[in-house]
Amino acid sequence: MSFAFKIGASALALTVAATAAVADGHAWWQKAAEPYQGVTIRGVTESSPPSLYIREVLAPQFEELTGIRVDVETTSWDQMFDKGIKDMEAGTGIYDMVYIEQDIIYSYLARDFLTNLTAFLADNPDLQAPNYDEGNFTTFADYFKDADGNLYGVPMEAFLKVYLYRKDLFGDADIQAAFKEKTGRDLVPATTHDEYSEIAQFFTDYGKENDLELWGTTAQAHTGHVASWYEYYESVAPTFGVYNWGIDADNNYAASVANGGAMNGPEAVEAMTWWLSMRDIAPPESPASTWTEVGTTFGAGRAAQGLVYGENAGWIAADDSKSLVVGKVGVALPPLADGVLDAAEAGEGYIGYYDGGAFGMPHSSKNKEATALFLQFIAQNEVQPDWAVAAPRVTHTATYDDPKVVAFNEELGGYYDLIRDKGYLFAGAPAYPFHAQVREATAPIFYQILTGDLGVQDGLDQMATAAESTLTELGYRK
Amino acid sequence: MQSKRLGWIFLAPTLVILFFFGVLPFIYVVYVSFHQWNPFAVNPEMVFNGADNFRQIVFDQAFLNSLGVTVLFVVFAVLSELILGYFLAQAFMRDFPGKAIFRTIHTLPLIVAPIIVGSVWKLMTTPSIGIIPHYLDEWFGITMNIGTSATAAFATIVIMDVWHWTPLVTLTLIAALVSLPPDPFEQAQIDGAGKRQIFWHITLPMIAPAVVATVFIRLMDALRTVDEVWMLTGGGPGSATRFVGVHIFKEVFPKTNYGYGSTISVIVLYLTIVVCWLLYVTMLAPRNKKD
Repeated sequence: MSFAFKIGASALALTVAATAAVADGHAWWQKAAEPYQGVTIRGVTESSPPSLYIREVLAPQFEELTGIRVDVETTSWDQMFDKGIKDMEAGTGIYDMVYIEQDIIYSYLARDFLTNLTAFLADNPDLQAPNYDEGNFTTFADYFKDADGNLYGVPMEAFLKVYLYRKDLFGDADIQAAFKEKTGRDLVPATTHDEYSEIAQFFTDYGKENDLELWGTTAQAHTGHVASWYEYYESVAPTFGVYNWGIDADNNYAASVANGGAMNGPEAVEAMTWWLSMRDIAPPESPASTWTEVGTTFGAGRAAQGLVYGENAGWIAADDSKSLVVGKVGVALPPLADGVLDAAEAGEGYIGYYDGGAFGMPHSSKNKEATALFLQFIAQNEVQPDWAVAAPRVTHTATYDDPKVVAFNEELGGYYDLIRDKGYLFAGAPAYPFHAQVREATAPIFYQILTGDLGVQDGLDQMATAAESTLTELGYRK
Repeated sequence: MQSKRLGWIFLAPTLVILFFFGVLPFIYVVYVSFHQWNPFAVNPEMVFNGADNFRQIVFDQAFLNSLGVTVLFVVFAVLSELILGYFLAQAFMRDFPGKAIFRTIHTLPLIVAPIIVGSVWKLMTTPSIGIIPHYLDEWFGITMNIGTSATAAFATIVIMDVWHWTPLVTLTLIAALVSLPPDPFEQAQIDGAGKRQIFWHITLPMIAPAVVATVFIRLMDALRTVDEVWMLTGGGPGSATRFVGVHIFKEVFPKTNYGYGSTISVIVLYLTIVVCWLLYVTMLAPRNKKD
């Protein structure tokens, strides 16, 4: 028997086995969905690439397989919350699935909006898909679990806010020489804030001197949108050692230094001052930039480095229909103050934001069984690799090793490696059920710091006072 | 008698809809305004707190600031729209080449949704990318950045509102001007009255009801402006364009402060009614009395 024949026979056997397995799989979904044929389930989510993939690809596949219709409404970030919360609050049951951003899960759990998916599937074994396993998820799924380990949302996107830099500029021999001459250092991605500032200033000057539309850093510094608040509290303050917004939950939710918090402490002041100095040498659109515009700025080749949400890092690095810097992007850990990395390694801090979201099923859903099937459908290992390539996000451990994803990781400058290997150093939002309330109470003061109407120390003092006052009003601070 | 009953029968569906979708929600908002209610508080239930919310409003610097900014906006925007709308209406009363095309183009902003208007203006005014800062810089050396300059942001919103709503004023005033009888004007001209005299003593008094109605509509609209501003500046820089509509939105939706947000809504409604009443009393009531 020739070697070629053996290979051919093995391939045939594998194909037959795989086809049989797929057929078996299909048969299970069809049988499980039989009682719900013709049912329509509705979801609301943010209009982001991963959600659009659900709407355009996964929902039609599921419909074809099961006969259950899936309507996925993709809308703006604030509308998504508004619609979901109103529906769950009133118990109207318009939505069977709601997008749960990692930072709002604690509010939803506190209000008992969501169905315990672990318990629901345990109580309905006929609905449990054979290839669905909570163990398939990365540790990011832990953010959607309660203290007893019950899952309340099926993770559908997870990103890091990473330090993105232009490999082509950092690797250019002339630029390297000019940088060395000016600073006495080699041009490599920064590991400290001083290094980052030096690189940022160098490239902003370089852009001016060479009449280029190029600046040294991005800044998500909108003066009227919460995106700036998030950049500071999620991505900048932690790199200076200010965690959980500077609020100490174990100390009666203290925010001010006087009461044991850190919101207006010296590290917070240093972080804010540094960030504002970066904002001042960032592209002129920065004071009007949210996360979207920061991505656009970087994708347009207007910044040499910056902190960018992973959901944008994907298209910036790989989509040449949108980005001018395809193949020119590298990723690294953000610059850190002394001791922050050690604290993160020891599990006592974190170095940046682990962002993402899940699909949850409200108690008010009127089609829980059909919804549970769909949530398991999008949680299958099998659908993950194509999804990870179409809309860079990884929520399953096995996805990292898929050949398609490995190849795509190269295009992304090692972004997936960073999530897998260093993801544990990053953290999601603190476990606060009052997330939006404290944010909104302090944001107007924060904007005044950005506009210069308030000094950094004065502004942070006022923010700490406002945070404590709101927490008292809400009943969390005694 | 029969026609009266028939009238009520025809009116009934509208009244029922108005009751359920207008009156009932309003009563509910008034009810909520006397409560402390945040569903994400430790106690998520409504707690009656009497007039505490109303007392809080008096000392709420953020609200007072937003009210001040809104009043400024209303004055600048509505006055500009009225003046510009009147001149355009007068222009459209005359014949000139391309009048039909110009009138159509001039009316187009009215059919654009406010949120789209905000988006388009955001694109046009974003520093470095937008066409307006680009040409202001290239032609006049003016740096325009609505993310840092409170004046630029405020002025942009006023101009955007004028661009969006002047056509409405123009159309209303055209309707009023067309309906004016020619006799008083001819009489005045024979008596030797100048253009200014004719305007102040004949045209303006005769179109006053239309002007007041238009101002009412624009005033109420301007006082609850949210969408365009939300899209363009988000209320910034700082709180420079945080109009009451935006303030209420932020208080009620992201902050979920339903009780206090309802109180602000009730107060703003009350202020709107008072302003409209004052306008009516000063401009139309004396005239009605005279008639």
